[in-house]
Amino acid sequence: MIGRDEVHDLLAREALCLDRRDWDGWLSLYTDDCSYWMPAWRDEENPTDNPDRELSLIWYQGKHNLEDRVWRVKSGLSIASVPMLRTAHQVSAILIEGPDTVSASFACHVHNVKRRTDHCFFGRYEYRLVHEGDALKIAAKKILLMNDNIPTVADFYML
Amino acid sequence: MRWEEVSALVDDRVTDGWFSVHRRAFTDAAIFDLEMRHIFEGGWVFLGMASQVPNPHDYLTTTVGRVPIVVMRDGEGKLDAFVNACTHKGALICHKRTGSGRLHVCRYHSWSFDSAGQSVGVKGLRDGAYSDAFMQTDRNLSRLPAFADYRGFLFGSLVPTCPIEEHLGEARHLLDVAADQGEDGLELVPGEVVFTYDGNWKMQLENCADAYHFTSTHPSYLQLIEKRRREEKKNVVKSVWGENSAWSEMTEGITGGTYGFDQGHVLNWQVIPLSDTVPLAERAELLAERYGAARRDWMVNMRNMTIFPNLQVAENASSQLRIIRPLSAGKTEMRTFCIAPKGESDGARRMRIRNYEDFFNPTGMATPDDTVCYADCQDGHANALQPWILGYARGMESVQDGPDQFADVLGMKPDRSQPCGSQLCDETLFHSYYRAWLSRLKVGMERSA
Repeated sequence: MIGRDEVHDLLAREALCLDRRDWDGWLSLYTDDCSYWMPAWRDEENPTDNPDRELSLIWYQGKHNLEDRVWRVKSGLSIASVPMLRTAHQVSAILIEGPDTVSASFACHVHNVKRRTDHCFFGRYEYRLVHEGDALKIAAKKILLMNDNIPTVADFYML
Repeated sequence: MRWEEVSALVDDRVTDGWFSVHRRAFTDAAIFDLEMRHIFEGGWVFLGMASQVPNPHDYLTTTVGRVPIVVMRDGEGKLDAFVNACTHKGALICHKRTGSGRLHVCRYHSWSFDSAGQSVGVKGLRDGAYSDAFMQTDRNLSRLPAFADYRGFLFGSLVPTCPIEEHLGEARHLLDVAADQGEDGLELVPGEVVFTYDGNWKMQLENCADAYHFTSTHPSYLQLIEKRRREEKKNVVKSVWGENSAWSEMTEGITGGTYGFDQGHVLNWQVIPLSDTVPLAERAELLAERYGAARRDWMVNMRNMTIFPNLQVAENASSQLRIIRPLSAGKTEMRTFCIAPKGESDGARRMRIRNYEDFFNPTGMATPDDTVCYADCQDGHANALQPWILGYARGMESVQDGPDQFADVLGMKPDRSQPCGSQLCDETLFHSYYRAWLSRLKVGMERSA
């Protein structure tokens, strides 16, 4: 069973790590074999739900894929993140829905420093959480992006 | 704006070794308006795929320039394209990206239309005290004067124009190479991805065909692909770029090239050897039996194709169909799909999708680096001190008229060819875009004069 306090702490910590660009801290919240999934939308009503036959916006299995994404934005080799955009994640309506599943709604305000523009990505998170020792970790995260008309870029740290 | 002002934006003097486009062509709202009227709303544009509307009464919606369009299949299965607007007041008739319906009732005043675009009902017609003049007026949905299905690729035009075969010209061979990959043609993988960028639509036109930017713009992606190849971890996607070095400075000899066609279509291509990173590998022998090994090899090669003005099919790390929709001189919407042969195995489809997500998505590791550069260029096009873009010069001394030996394999006769090594990175193929750009503007401006 997962407890309400540790769930709230974990989700707040993830938001904080992303906004502080504490990448190691963020990665440490995930299990090594985690899945990280942001479906695309099949039509107006339904997100895609079979990643092997339908397109996702992001689909990874294994933390090393997230490490690759972190490396990319840290490397300075991706002009899409130079200078890095500023973010503020807001996570709310956190609800434990099953023995190991949690849903929440999110909004991430993004400020493009270079272009002096703002955008807000919003949608829902769905988590599957597991205990590793005393620590509660993310075994699976699904991001349902509601406004999927993307202004140029939506990298992992803006979602 | 006078024609002389428009034509002055392309300085086409290749016999003097010079070709350039004025930056104003990318920034001027008056030019954008002419492009909408005479290019997008004044000739053939891509609408969608027949596979999106497989059954009688299916429809898909899109736009041609600024005009909402619906492509519908009638009860007999015949496809046609209409302005997606009630002829009464103009309200949209079909509201979803794709859908189905025998009868479309306008939500505003209940005028109704069948799936062949015919008006079948006007609410309160008998009690409306309508005049004879009204009763004799055509109330059907406005049918596009030109519509065509070329091997599942649907095109339409808001003005009467040449036959589609003439518009596609010799570039039709490239659509054939794409379509022949699947026994039953091509399909769009479910999941449309839409993004915008803060730049002119012609930036996308150029970038798709631009080999010169690849190693400069995408080092983060290329280094990760190389790292993944070395590490061979489970659950990482292997990419054709990791197995192939056609873009590398170490590669010698002819590694690919470009073609230009006089309707403004272009191709940028590279040799890709068959390997287990190619989704088509599972059907390589079958395709060679059917089409011959040389034509099969063309299916495997990297091919970035533009069918002027708004369709791109990029087959490289994966396979993407793009519909370019200009919103203003400085803003463009991209509607993108993973396009794939029907009937491919789960394994091949999975590999295609994973590579697509990493490379092509605005949430992936390559495309945002392109589109951010487009926006940077859009800012830089304000440079009136050097108003001429210096990006049409590479390959000027080596481009040849007519086909090369690789085009001969397809029986294709492009206007110009540039077979080349990895480091030439031809820019002369863009000339074809701007010649067609001017030609369509000229025809349109003369028509409306």
